[in-house]
Amino acid sequence: MKNGRAVVLVVDDIALIRMGAVDLVQSAGYEALEAQDAHEAIRILESRDDIDLVFTDVQMPGTMDGIKLAHFIRNRWPPVQLIVASGRDILEESSLPTGSQYFSKPYNDHAITDAMARLLQSKNSG
Amino acid sequence: MGPFMPIKSAIFAEAPSTLAVVVLSNEPLLLLSTDLQIIAASISFCNAFAIDAATIVGRRLGTLGNGEWNMPKLVSLLNATASGNAKIEAYEIDLKRPNQKTRQLVVNAQILDDGQKDHVRLLLAVTDMTDARATARLKDDLLNDKAILIQEVQHRVANSLQIIASILMQGARRVQSDEARDHLQNAHHRVMSISAVQKQLSTSKGGKVPLKAYMALLCESLGASMIADQDRLSIAVKVDDSSVEADVSISLGLIVTELVINALKHAFPDQPKGKITVSYASKGRDWTLMVADDGIGMPTGPATPKAGLGTGIVEALAKNLQGTLEVSCAEPGTAVTVRHNADAEGQTAAPSAA
Repeated sequence: MKNGRAVVLVVDDIALIRMGAVDLVQSAGYEALEAQDAHEAIRILESRDDIDLVFTDVQMPGTMDGIKLAHFIRNRWPPVQLIVASGRDILEESSLPTGSQYFSKPYNDHAITDAMARLLQSKNSG
Repeated sequence: MGPFMPIKSAIFAEAPSTLAVVVLSNEPLLLLSTDLQIIAASISFCNAFAIDAATIVGRRLGTLGNGEWNMPKLVSLLNATASGNAKIEAYEIDLKRPNQKTRQLVVNAQILDDGQKDHVRLLLAVTDMTDARATARLKDDLLNDKAILIQEVQHRVANSLQIIASILMQGARRVQSDEARDHLQNAHHRVMSISAVQKQLSTSKGGKVPLKAYMALLCESLGASMIADQDRLSIAVKVDDSSVEADVSISLGLIVTELVINALKHAFPDQPKGKITVSYASKGRDWTLMVADDGIGMPTGPATPKAGLGTGIVEALAKNLQGTLEVSCAEPGTAVTVRHNADAEGQTAAPSAA
């Protein structure tokens, strides 16, 4: 949380999709940060302690994809909530950390903001 | 002559027809004595393994070629077979020859005895599986490559659609005018409607789209983004177990998208509750698609708004599917039906053929 607003980190290697996701996060009233791959995401997570939720793509260049990133975050920063989106159906939801939400691309903006609100609420109440 | 004596005696007992069957076998075959001397060999064996057919009879198995058949495992299995203690069935063994690639063989051996214990022979069938296995592997690789390629294409399509959807929604969030926002959101719904087909295709087999799952996904998506109060307005999907070609499903999906958007926007201005029902039923090649609402019904008189893009899309697609479009009062509400009658197909589609 930053100044009472939830902080969401968007991770996607495709600039236009990332831009759209950042805009979506901001329109929902959250603070948005962005990273273009898993390693940049981890650097950002290491550099600050106010990130509430990570919204990540699956297929990204580099040695770590979005699924590995999700597991890494769940281990290292357990309170951070996770939303994973992929263009490649069908991702087994069991391959994701428990409690994370999966959406296939193209996702519905409302479905994403609904999931964000739900996860952030459960985080704050739990 | 000395060394040939036992061979002669072995051959002596063989019926000429038995020898002929072995020699002419398409499958590489050897007829062996119990001490692994060759009584007869098929021409196919000699050709397959580069052994001189003229001199093969009488030689011991282990001396063929450069001794590559002197495989301890094979010899021991043949001995066990000869003594009746084992049976070689589809036993896999590698044939190694100098300066040549290892061949993967499948061998079968069977004891032949006519009740005479002193006259036991072995029939050894040798199949070279190397090429067949390589072909099978190549086929597997190609299929694998194809699957990866399809996944890659699906991934790209999904990302491209996501880019389009994201840009439309960013536009919709930025514009000031309600009308412009409306148009951008409708364009977004149309993109999502086509995307839903893509999602169904990636999970279905044979390029056909199961309509029930597709319509459910489509209406859920429309409801999630257009209905603010889910307790007030709902969309029910009543679709049978039909599966249709991808392009047909895209047309049906776009028709439903336009009609549902229209109903959500206009049918329930002040109603405390409202329900839209999307139904599809087919019988043989006939089918009926209907989108009905229980709202205020169609406007009449001079207040009727002029037909928009949505109406144009519905009319064009209905025509393209060779369906007739019908708008009726559902009392309460409105029902729009697209009906396809297979018998009437030729009349409208190809008048010049008459």
